[in-house]
Amino acid sequence: MRFFARKIISSILFLMILMQSNLVSSFEDDSGCLLCHKYPKMGRIDENGVKRSYYVMPGVFGSTVHRNVPCTDCHNYIKQLPHKPVKTGVSCNTECHSIKNPATGKNFSHSSVYDKYKGSVHGREKVEQGLDSDKPYCITCHTNPIYNPNETEPPKRIIDRCVVCHEDREFVTNWYKHTSRRIREVKRTPTEIVQLCSNCHSDESLLQRHEKAASEEGRELGRKFPIAVESYNESFHGKVTKYGFTKAANCLDCHAKEDNYYMNVHDIRASRDPESPMHSSNKVETCRKCHTYADENYAELDPHPTSKKAGNPFRYYANIIYSWVGDIVIVLLISMALIETIGRRRDGVSWSMRKGSSWWHRSSKSKDRIV
Amino acid sequence: MKLSEEASKVVETSMRMNNIDENERNEIIQLIDRMPDSRVTLYKNVVSNPIGDLPRYSIHIRIQHMLTFVTFLTLAFTGLPIAFMDHVWAVPMNNLVGGIDVSRIIHRTLASVMIFGMVYHIVYIAYTTARLILRGKFELQRSIIPILKDVRDFKLDMLYFAGKRDQRPEMDKFMYKQKIHYFAAAFGNLVMIISGSSFIFPEFWAAILPTSMASYFQEMMRLSHPHEALLALLVIAFWHWYNVHLAPGRFPMQWTFLTGKITREHQIEEHFLEYLRNLVELPEERAYLHNLLDARELTVDSIEGLEAVGETQ
Repeated sequence: MRFFARKIISSILFLMILMQSNLVSSFEDDSGCLLCHKYPKMGRIDENGVKRSYYVMPGVFGSTVHRNVPCTDCHNYIKQLPHKPVKTGVSCNTECHSIKNPATGKNFSHSSVYDKYKGSVHGREKVEQGLDSDKPYCITCHTNPIYNPNETEPPKRIIDRCVVCHEDREFVTNWYKHTSRRIREVKRTPTEIVQLCSNCHSDESLLQRHEKAASEEGRELGRKFPIAVESYNESFHGKVTKYGFTKAANCLDCHAKEDNYYMNVHDIRASRDPESPMHSSNKVETCRKCHTYADENYAELDPHPTSKKAGNPFRYYANIIYSWVGDIVIVLLISMALIETIGRRRDGVSWSMRKGSSWWHRSSKSKDRIV
Repeated sequence: MKLSEEASKVVETSMRMNNIDENERNEIIQLIDRMPDSRVTLYKNVVSNPIGDLPRYSIHIRIQHMLTFVTFLTLAFTGLPIAFMDHVWAVPMNNLVGGIDVSRIIHRTLASVMIFGMVYHIVYIAYTTARLILRGKFELQRSIIPILKDVRDFKLDMLYFAGKRDQRPEMDKFMYKQKIHYFAAAFGNLVMIISGSSFIFPEFWAAILPTSMASYFQEMMRLSHPHEALLALLVIAFWHWYNVHLAPGRFPMQWTFLTGKITREHQIEEHFLEYLRNLVELPEERAYLHNLLDARELTVDSIEGLEAVGETQ
């Protein structure tokens, strides 16, 4: 008995050691950052009273797209250990010194997409004050995702096949993760895209802040800016997308240029910008992406319908008239049914037919059935 | 019974149209004379078969009603969760039919069936009307087309229900209620088809309308489709179903939509002019009425006798 207990305990211990070693070796920590950052309680309460955690989960980080980038490539302001307090943090256009872009041979960097984003209506610096701090920075949308959340382990059959020639199982596994993450369609579903944009564009206080600032500065905002999400959700596109239908237009289908989706979703522009697909000169073409026979008239149809008085007075009044007509019709018809019932009941009608007649009751105003 | 001028005209017209010979003519006139003066006495004393005694709707009309009725309810069931998706019932209701990918297919398919039903009805009505006109048997007041008499009937009927009159007006095959309902349904159908087509073919409508109107038209259609659908559903649920299922004398249901026949007491009460035509057209109904009048002693003389006895007692 004791022998078995020992066996079990030692196997559990062995497993724990295995798991531990797996965690530690899941990414290269050349600079020894994990010496401190492996502790879950590592953190502080900052000047504003916000709790900040500096804990790096090695197992999770080791499964992300940045697992092969040494910490100091992004955190390049850290020159010594222990390091000084960090002021600005990582900027996403930092050039990696350890990773080369295999296509160009240059140091790898996100600067091409970063520059696109900077030129868009959402462009901002990492640290911003005031209104611009409401805009999304890279990490607002990109959360350094795990390779493939639906696939915890690469499929053994595929790795087995690669290993036949490439010999190194770890190399093959990493290669598989890298490519499969990018080859699979990993963009958000339309429902998620609408949700993502709504996080900011349906935030009442944010919208009011920007409207107020724009009116004070005499700056023009998009016509639908304050009701963009609400009105989209009221539209047919919005309704079916919310139900999970994937072929109806979501925010990006109209507001991002078509040619390279992955690049152009970073280049959202205001509809008054001639480069926007929603600019009056590009609208017809944008509609034609889905509505093949769209013409100038078609482009005039409102994709953000609203019954608010400020948004569309015509629809506002039409809606009121419609509701009133509907209510009046129903009330009149029900009253008619009621008065009819009262009148016929008074004349002696029963609810259902019995022995071939419905008139077995005594009438209070007319003749009765001769029994 | 002494017929009103209007009713006599109906009987005369009907006899002329059906080429009634002299013998039958006398028989009909005698029968009408024997009928009690009060229609109330008549419809309260006849015996009716719950599933119907007298012909009313042909098999085509019944099929058209079926097509409209089944497609309408399913269209409402698949469409309402989309139009009113903020409501708690919307998502479960949509899931019940298999989610948006399935419900949109069902909705569009059944919309086509509904349009087919409408076309079928128009063709059928046009054909039968043309045939009636050619045979010289068309009567405007027997058709569903609203006439001034309906306004008068409505007024008199309301007075009867309010207790100000002792008889309901003499109404025709289609009374005011049915005419309102028929044209409301026809109008609603048309609105649903046009607005529905503006969702599925928005480019087409935008192309054929002038620029200044295209966007207003689309907005109107976007409003009309759900508003009209909801209105129709409420009218069906609270008025039509009440009238044909729950109203006194009709409970648990009128069988007319299945058998095409109306009960005798209902025909005399609400469609008296049509009952007179039934007497002209159907010898067996004349025979029935003769027997009834004899058996229940309902003739003019016997009723007067009865009333006299009642008074002396």
